[in-house]
Parts: sequence; structure tokens; C-alpha cells
Amino acid sequence: MKEAAVLVRTAVPTGRAVSEMLDRRKFLFGLAAGAAGLMLTKGKLPATPAPKSDKAAKPGAPGKAETYSMAVVKGPNPDLATRKAIELIGGMGAFVSRGDVVLVKPNIGWDRVPEQAANTNPAVVAALVAMALEAGAKKVFVADNPCNDARRTYKRSGISDAAKEAGAEVRYIEDRNYVKTNLGGEVLKDWLVYRDAIEADKIINVPIAKHHGLGGITLSMKNLMGVTGGARNLMHQRLSESVVDLAAFFKPHLNVLDAVRILKANGPQGGSTNDVVRLDTVAASADPVRIEAFGVTLFGKKAGDFPMIALGEKRGLGTSDYRAKGFTEVTLG
Amino acid sequence: MKNLRRASQIVFFLFFVYLFVQTEYKGTNELGLPVRLFLDFDPLVALSALAASHAVRAVFLFSLITVLLTVFFGRFFCGWVCPLGAINTAIGYFRMRGLEPNRSEGRLPRWRTVKYYVLVFVLVAALFGWNAAGFVDPISLTIRSLAIGYNPAVNKLVRSALEATVAAHVPVVSPAIDALYTKMTGTVLSFNQPIFRQSLLIGLIFTAILGLNFLAPRFWCRYLCPLGALLGLIGWKQVGARVHNDKDKCISCRKCVVACQGDATPFPPGEWASGECLVCYNCHEVCPASAISIRATARSTGGGNVDLGRRRLLASGVGALLVVPAVSAVVQRTRTDPSLIRPPGALPEQEFLRRCVRCGECMKVCLTNGLHPTLTEAGLEGLWTPILVPRLGYCEYNCNLCSQVCPTGAIRPVSVEEKQKIHIGLAFVDKNRCLPYAFGRNCIVCEEHCPTPQKAITFVEERAIDEKGASIILKKPVVSPELCIGCGICETKCPVVDLPAIRVTAINESRSEGNLLFLNI
Repeated sequence: MKEAAVLVRTAVPTGRAVSEMLDRRKFLFGLAAGAAGLMLTKGKLPATPAPKSDKAAKPGAPGKAETYSMAVVKGPNPDLATRKAIELIGGMGAFVSRGDVVLVKPNIGWDRVPEQAANTNPAVVAALVAMALEAGAKKVFVADNPCNDARRTYKRSGISDAAKEAGAEVRYIEDRNYVKTNLGGEVLKDWLVYRDAIEADKIINVPIAKHHGLGGITLSMKNLMGVTGGARNLMHQRLSESVVDLAAFFKPHLNVLDAVRILKANGPQGGSTNDVVRLDTVAASADPVRIEAFGVTLFGKKAGDFPMIALGEKRGLGTSDYRAKGFTEVTLG
Repeated sequence: MKNLRRASQIVFFLFFVYLFVQTEYKGTNELGLPVRLFLDFDPLVALSALAASHAVRAVFLFSLITVLLTVFFGRFFCGWVCPLGAINTAIGYFRMRGLEPNRSEGRLPRWRTVKYYVLVFVLVAALFGWNAAGFVDPISLTIRSLAIGYNPAVNKLVRSALEATVAAHVPVVSPAIDALYTKMTGTVLSFNQPIFRQSLLIGLIFTAILGLNFLAPRFWCRYLCPLGALLGLIGWKQVGARVHNDKDKCISCRKCVVACQGDATPFPPGEWASGECLVCYNCHEVCPASAISIRATARSTGGGNVDLGRRRLLASGVGALLVVPAVSAVVQRTRTDPSLIRPPGALPEQEFLRRCVRCGECMKVCLTNGLHPTLTEAGLEGLWTPILVPRLGYCEYNCNLCSQVCPTGAIRPVSVEEKQKIHIGLAFVDKNRCLPYAFGRNCIVCEEHCPTPQKAITFVEERAIDEKGASIILKKPVVSPELCIGCGICETKCPVVDLPAIRVTAINESRSEGNLLFLNI
């Protein structure tokens, strides 16, 4: 079962819009049904090439809603912004199928409150949980392997309460939940990995944008360290290669960047609200590299300054040009 | 009455265990429950801390309630409330079952005085500055032994059994056990498997104390317990429940002597020793001739208390006087041990030692399992007091649980905000072991975890060539002694796991005047 899940994932070409991706269930169904199946998937392709849209696409414009491969939404309400971003890239139905078990993986690393912007915004997490359930997911669970005590980080981040209220199962990762797995990476080979993350049908990766002493800025790919165990702190010695290995292994189906508040200094756990800037922004894409490349611009940096991004692109995980075809930016009132 | 007493013992014991299990982080900064309640009502804890520190604390008033009730009802605490008493009763019950009257009665009446000498020793030592009460106070002893000795073992046992069942992949059963295990974690079981230094030693000592029940039932309570002695002295009048053996009715069957939980000699009539009576009502229940009655009366009904012997009492006091300086001289600490990192809020060392009763509450409640009992770090006088061992667990930045559970104010109550400013030590980078310094490889895990809002650990950047020949920016950690509070998370998380490349020692701690590092800070 475990192997099967991994196999299917690696068989799906990366760096493409998720709307083109087949999930396992549909893949099998498509094979069996032949032409009918092909048509089914074809119908899911973007109807028209996404426009070069630097300006806001008009939500609710007459005619068929357009589907993008990367959306950035600004808006004072994180719940609505998240929903809009997902809607713009094809709706949750493009990523989550009926009956899926879905892992929503926020950053719950630190014993900090939302105002300190060290963990993913709870409202963004809750919105994704609710949407995954609306899309027909059988179960949505939320988990992370935090740096501080899990009981404190889950509670004080506000994520535990918000996700439960939205209908998720909130799990602590216990020692017995880690299985030694060959990640087949460049630097990461056999490693302890959270079993439920491997077995989940879909992974929704929800990082927060924040400063990091070693990585410069931490975003989507590094967030995946939270589903690994073992001597994680060794990864710092080859941080870029390690997190790209993780992204290549887990291939999160959907990446949502929380930039409602970003932490600009003393990261990754901060502590002072003086280092926090409110941007009220949520970005979503199937492409973790693209999310990463967009994220660094929030700090006034360029994607080219981050070896992690170049490495991810080189490995075929996505594009470093976040404004590539299919990009849209929307501001909600 | 006997059944009522048993019910009371069971209820109080379960309540004690409940509070013990609840002595753990439960999702809020403030522990909702008074988990140290039994210690608050313990007059020996209050008296010894008072004698040693001369500091009166409002919380000592609780123990006055115990004192007041004891004046009327004698050692009801021992017979009806004390959790160690309950355990001893249970074990002693099996020991007593086999006893025949007139044969071995499991009594060692000459030992009865020993507990009074223990008490005198403890109190005299406390008066002269060494608070040793915690070693022998039954509540401190029980909490410490359960927290440090038994709880890790019980957790390990249950966890191993559950894990084996889960790993066996039995259909239906294994997933059910897996779910049950998750439910038990953090509720019945500790959230993390507890691990303590000296847990075997402390557990074995407690086991030996329990084993004494096979020499004589409730051996500890009858012969050794200083709290029992203190309550015996306070309550020897016991006007609320005096045992009277009617010599006209007594048939000398000696059943009451065997059944007596204390060693209070309800037979022969007139020999009853009130200070030894645990108010268990066994004599009354067991008497076939209805000769024994228990009444509220101020009139003497027995032979008074056991004769303590003036010379031996004096000897135990003098003994304490001689031992106090000897104990502190055994390990002559002219300088602080570097690993003597006390929890935040701990009083200056001398004052701390005068109050700490080594109950282990702080170690039990510590979120990261970072607080451990000392062995030699605080000298012999400080044995089993708490220190932070950062290699095993750090001090969580937003947590002040240990200061909430301390019964004597050895760790004074500190708010989270105040606690975050207390320096308990200082981190030092070991450049011979630190990866960027020693091997030219990036790491900086310590800086990542440093919790102060303005990081106490920063780094200097240096251009270097990595092991593959590529040009890299090397980040070398530097500690700011002004900002570092000594929480130790850097040491806990350092990837050089055996002897971490960044280590915290007690120097620069806020509470100390003799352990300063800088002229002005």
C-alpha cells in the first residue's frame, strides 16, 4: 500500500499544473474505462491558456471561471483569501477527490501565538480543512513534528482548535508513527518519516513565510521537515539539498503559502511583534518551487538568491519564475 | 467504622494518584488543579521549611488544619488520609492475614521510639540550616519515588506492551490498541516517556520501604515516619477518639493487638499508647467480647505515650548538630558546580536548600523532562534537589509550571514574563566541537532554536570553501551573555549529541551573587 502510493506519486510528472495531474483513483479508473477516462481527464485541462494577468482577474466575471496554475490573493480575511486562491487554481476538487485521506501540513513548529507569525495562520489551515471536506475527502488530518513541545505548539498556535472546529482530526506524531523509508534523495537516503504522511492520498502543504537564520527564508519545501523524524537537525548541514529531497519525495499536491503575517527577522520562531509585518496575502499553487520563488519576493529578495529554489527547479519540481504562464493576482475588498 | 476508614483511604489514595497524574502540562499555562495539595496539608513540610528558612508563608496555614484535627482525633491522617499509609495498609493486610494471636504479632515495640528520634534529628538539623525533612517526609518521599522511580518504569512497561500489540499487526486488535494508545498518551500515561537520572536508586529505596511491611505491617508508619511522630506528639491527647479497653470484659485473646495497624497496644487494658494509634478502629471491630470502645473523652484511658528516653532524644538532637556541618563539609563546595543549573525562580542556593523538600513535583511537571534530581552537584546536603540537565531537556521559554507546583517556595512563584528575564545559566560554544568552527560546515541549529525575541545566539558570517570545494558562506554561532537566559534548548538540540558543542553552565545566573561573570551587566 505504502509503496503503491509512492509509486503513483513518482509516476506523475512534476512541475505541471495540478489540474493536469491524475490522482491514483482517477488514473486507475481512466485506464479501465479507456477513452471515456481520457475524456474525463481531458475535460479537466485548462479550457483556455491562462492570461498574462498582472492585474486582478475579475472574480465572478460572466462566463466560465478561468483556471490558473498560481494565484496570489490579498484580502483582510484570511479565510476568504484562502478560499479565493484555491478557487482560482481550479477549486479544491482539482486536488482532492471524493474519499481521499488528506494531510494538511501547516507549520506548528513553535510555542508562539498567531500574532508572532512563527506558525501558519490558523484561519488559513481551517479554511483548507473545510474545503477539503467540502470536496469530499473522507478524512482530513493535521499534524506536524514541532521543535518545541507539541502540546504547547498545537495549542498556542491556535491551529489545533481551529482545525478541529473545521472538522479535521488533529494528530500528534508519536514515535511509533515514524517508519524508516528510503527517500532516494541526493543527500537524504534512509530516513524516519511520518507514516501517515506517506499513506495519505493527498498532502496539502501550508507553510508560513518567515525569516530563517540559515536558509534565509523558509517556505514550502522546508515545511516538509515537519513530517520527518530522526536526527532532523543534521539536515542543516545540507539544507537546500535536504529540503529539495523532501519535496521530491513527498510531492505535495497543493502548496498554500500563508503570508497573512510574515516574520522578517529573528526567525524561524521570532517572538517580537516588531519583526512581524501584516501582508494579508495567501498564495496557492501545485508547484512548491513557484510558491517559494514568490515567497522570497515578499522579503524584497529574488529567487536567484536562493540555492534551494534553483536546486528545486533543476530537479524538475517546479519553476523559479512565479510569474510564468497561469499566474494571477487578485485583491479582495 | 473500619469500612468507613478503608473507604477514606481508598478515596484519598485515588485522589492522590489523580493529582499525581495531573501533575503535567494539560494545555494551559496555569495548572487548573492544586496538584501539591497533600504537601500543603503536611505539617512536617511546613515546619521544617519554617525552621530552616525562618520564612512564614500563607500556604502553611493549610497544614494548621491538619494540626487542629490531629489535636482532636490523633493520627487520623496516618490511618485515613496518608497515601503511603494506604499503600502500607494494603501490603500489611496480606502480611497480617497469616498471623495467629499469641504467636508472632508482627510487633517490634522497642522500635516505636525510632521515628521520634528521626523527627528530632530532622527538626534540629532544619533549625541549624539543613532541611533534610524531604528525605523522610512521607508525602515528599512518595511523590518523589513515584515520579522519579515508579512512573518511568510503569510507563515503559505499559508502552512496551501496547507497542508490541500494535506491532503484531493482529487484525482488528492492533488498530484498536493503536487508537487506545493514542488516547492514553497524555491522559493516563505521561505525554512523553519519562526518563530520570537515579530512577532505579530512588525506586529501589521506595520498594525497600514497602518491603518492610513484611518485617511488620506498616513498619514505616509505626517505627520510622517522622510525620507520624509529629502527629503523634500533637495528637496524643486524642480527645475525639480514645480507645478504651474494659478490663472487666477483656478475655485476653490478643486479637486486637494483631489487628492494630499501629503498634498502640490496645491490650493489656490500660496500656494503650495514644501516640501510636492510627485511629483505624480495627481493635474495636475485632474484639469478640466487645470490651473495646472508642469514645470522645478527655479522661485518660491508657498508659500515655511511649517513653522516649530523655538521653536518647538528646542524643538524636546532638547527632543532628554534629551531622549538619559534617554533611556540608563532605563535599566542600568552595565553588559552584557548573552543572548546578536551578530552575528559574529558584532562590539563592543557600536559601533554596533550606526550603526544598525534594518532593520531585517540579521534576514531574517539567514539560521537557529537563529537571532531574542532583547526585553530587549540590553537595550531599542538596541530594535529590532539582537541576536542569540541558542535554536531556531544556527550559521551555513560555512555561513556569515548576514554580507553580513548589510547595515551599524554594522555587518562588514567577510569572511567565518575569521568568523569561531570569538568567539560569549561560551557553558557551565549544569551538573544538562546533561544526562551522571545527569542520567548516554549516549548521546553526542552536541559533534557530534560541527562543529570546532578540536572539541570544547570532552568527558571524565568513566566506569559506566547503568539503566539496565550493565557495560558501559559513555561519558561526556567537552567544550574547546579556541576552542568553541559559534555557539550554541550544544544548538539547545541538546535533553533536554526546557532548554538545554548545553547553550551558550555571555561571551568570540571576539568583546568585557569587556566580557572576561580568563586572556590570
